Amino acid sequence: MEVFLKEIFGSRMTTDPFELEQYTKDIAYIPPILVRLLAKPWPRAVVQAEESREIACLMQWAFQKRIPVTVRGGGSSAYFNSVPVQEGIVLDMNHMQGVGAVHMAGKAEEPAVWVQAGTTWYDADERLRRQGYTLRSYPTSAPAATVGGWISLGGFGIGSIRYGPLREQILGVRAVTAGGEIAEVDNPGLKSEAEASAGGGGLCFDDFFGMEGTRAVITEAHLTVRPFPEKEAHRVLAFRDVRPTGRMIQELGQVSSVFNVHFSSPTFVAALHKKGYASELPQERYCLAVDLAGRQTEVEEALRTIRREVQVLGGEVLATEAGEAEWISRFKALRLKQTWPSLQAAELLLPVEHFAAFEEALTKLAKQKHTVVVTYAHLVSPETVLLMVLFPSDELNTLRYLGDLSFISRIYALGKLYGGKPYIIGLWNTSYLSDIYTSKELKRRWERKQRLDRPNILNPGKAYKAPFFLSRSVFRLGMGFLGMLCPFVRAGRESDA
Amino acid sequence: MPKTKTNLEERIAEASYVCGRCGSCRNVCPVYQEIKWESSSPRGKITLAKDVFLKHKHNKMTEFYTQRLLECTLCGKCEEICAAGIHTRGLWLDLRESLRETGRLHPNFRHLGEQIATTHNISATANEYRLDWTDDLDDFEVPQSKDGSEVAYFVGCVSSFYPQLADIPQSIVKILEQAPVKYTVLGGEEWCCGFPLISAGMSGEAQELARHNIEKVRALRVKTLITGCASCFHTWSQEYPLLLGKSKQDLGFEVLHVTEYFARLLQEKRLMPAGLSETVTYHDPCDLGRNSGVYEDPRVILQAIPGLDYVEMFHNRELADCCGGGGNLQMVDSGLSQAIAGRRVRAAVETGASILVSACQQCVQTLRDAARKEKLALEVMDVTELLWQVLDHETGGERNE
Repeated sequence: MEVFLKEIFGSRMTTDPFELEQYTKDIAYIPPILVRLLAKPWPRAVVQAEESREIACLMQWAFQKRIPVTVRGGGSSAYFNSVPVQEGIVLDMNHMQGVGAVHMAGKAEEPAVWVQAGTTWYDADERLRRQGYTLRSYPTSAPAATVGGWISLGGFGIGSIRYGPLREQILGVRAVTAGGEIAEVDNPGLKSEAEASAGGGGLCFDDFFGMEGTRAVITEAHLTVRPFPEKEAHRVLAFRDVRPTGRMIQELGQVSSVFNVHFSSPTFVAALHKKGYASELPQERYCLAVDLAGRQTEVEEALRTIRREVQVLGGEVLATEAGEAEWISRFKALRLKQTWPSLQAAELLLPVEHFAAFEEALTKLAKQKHTVVVTYAHLVSPETVLLMVLFPSDELNTLRYLGDLSFISRIYALGKLYGGKPYIIGLWNTSYLSDIYTSKELKRRWERKQRLDRPNILNPGKAYKAPFFLSRSVFRLGMGFLGMLCPFVRAGRESDA
Repeated sequence: MPKTKTNLEERIAEASYVCGRCGSCRNVCPVYQEIKWESSSPRGKITLAKDVFLKHKHNKMTEFYTQRLLECTLCGKCEEICAAGIHTRGLWLDLRESLRETGRLHPNFRHLGEQIATTHNISATANEYRLDWTDDLDDFEVPQSKDGSEVAYFVGCVSSFYPQLADIPQSIVKILEQAPVKYTVLGGEEWCCGFPLISAGMSGEAQELARHNIEKVRALRVKTLITGCASCFHTWSQEYPLLLGKSKQDLGFEVLHVTEYFARLLQEKRLMPAGLSETVTYHDPCDLGRNSGVYEDPRVILQAIPGLDYVEMFHNRELADCCGGGGNLQMVDSGLSQAIAGRRVRAAVETGASILVSACQQCVQTLRDAARKEKLALEVMDVTELLWQVLDHETGGERNE
């Protein structure tokens, strides 16, 4: 194996355990006892690709030898999406960086650009700005997340409310199939007939979005972009109660110049205040940071509409500086860790109409469990919010950490009552597959995966089926048991609150 | 507060616990941009520190661990972008202190420490030769430890002992003469500021240097201390108060970078630049900009020069990229340092500038070497060299004696 990989990748290949260990983790801490039970995260080698041909060689070899390949971009997700579950090879995409020249393309003759998959969204935007353009949407982890990574996870974030899911902003994708064929696949909705490529490797456009790198290796994406808006405005709206906040979020989904809406719960703001951050936000208020972009007249009209609505709902529009400060710190939610260094989290897509009710129920649940929860959210479509719920835990206390894991399942169960579902699957959320997809959909997904990757070498163990210990019944039993640990560790929780 | 072993380890453990491993720091890190392995990224290094100091896995302090911790320019860009708000530059310094505590001091750092203890400067030359750079100045004598001066000019080791950079201190004193300013230098009484020792994880040894330098400057009863070295400036303004547990005001004089002082002289019309028809860009030294907060004054000077076409590099001010010359990296891996510098000079050329200006001798030296190696048509100089070149030497400024 080493000889073959060395031949392709040279010094961009390692089997050194010192280096390999870094690729056994992502952003979430998982107690080693659980990792050992559920995964084999140590890769046998890590390789860094510089071009598609290298990936094609790797995949042909891996396909033939039945060796798993896990693609890794920023490694900035929390569900083991880019961590091996069955050893094998980690394919590090971070050498594949670059942004092409903006040109007009697609049915609508829009500005577009080819971006290599290992480019971070932050870098892509920087390079676009040099050409007078900017991204339509990007993740809140833009400085870390790569283009290929966010496509693979579905692509909801800042700008989604204005431009829709990432799928609707991409004209085409270049990729390497599990069998090692280099392919280009167009978005049938956006490309004109004359432009459309024949595709290849049997791939279709839907094989990339939210598929967690299980069907092909994305190497490049053809993104539609936008010129700098004539006018941008950033405001923070504050409310005493969650119900009017929820109504305001719904209203904002209908305002045409809205580019981003970010919700912060009072507990989130309080946790930031504790360490001297976000001083521009008031205490004990539900805050909505609203970012607008467009023509000056449209933005001004939108601001007037928002002011009227805020008045009707009994809220207030904070000073402009608050909006600017929130916008500048839009990538810095993790400052929360200065207050609670060890956190656990659940990430859900939730219907916006049930957002307020969910938030109320969540607060009650937290009280019952003697803990504190903080939430922040983005409005990602007029109908949907992407919600992050976090609560303090302690990874240095394994018993408590394990006990707290059961609380995540309680949050997802609560979310389900309000029409919500986990956003990302990876390994850890495979238990919730039946909450996300119907059994027919699950069957179709798996059939598609088998058609494209018969030996199941691309990122195996994620997104399709739960391993035994995460299967529905075993998982419930396990969570029930872990929940029983909670009373023993309650003291720690109360002190956090 | 003195860095005791216990509070050092506690600080490292606390900071590493806060890291969310989000990886925002990776792509802005000049070292990761070159090495590209996870363990070379700030996130990777914090993961290593977390294992050792929070989870007490001391067997992880391997040779490779030490190497990775030293592969850093201490530029602080990771701190600027850190999503969790970690004071990463302080963490890197603490980790270097911990290497020293555990007997893992890099041999070149040990040698540096011995050198400074012997000569009180970073070279092997005796400290009494600190003013050799003044030998070429025929028109005036540089005053040394002159009582009644308003300003003390702290030259710094690099300017004092590297003949290829002698133009910088010479330009500075020529400008001071032209303004004119009642100034003095310390000559052999000037000791290394201690910055290289602090960067090496030897802050304890820097304390004696700090005490000596402060005492000598206080004895001159000057109002202002100026220095042209970004690292000396950072040490005087940020580190000395910390090292000695005092506030900046306790020094008894103000500390300015020479660009701050010259911008003031320009505003007072004590200096009058003539024209220059060149396109110029500016590289923010990490120790002057991000790590000390001085961004505007060098730009004020450049933009005061009639006819000069000033252009910014895409990464500037808080997000400026490092020149590769910081953090004692050249002593650990000179090839890595050069690769980082190469990236920066190529970025300067992209702006269309023919002159790349900085405000730090170390940056100038590193970038000048890189431009030469890359065979770029780019002149690299210090802002003070450029200012002296364009001053109207006939009329000077509106003299304000």
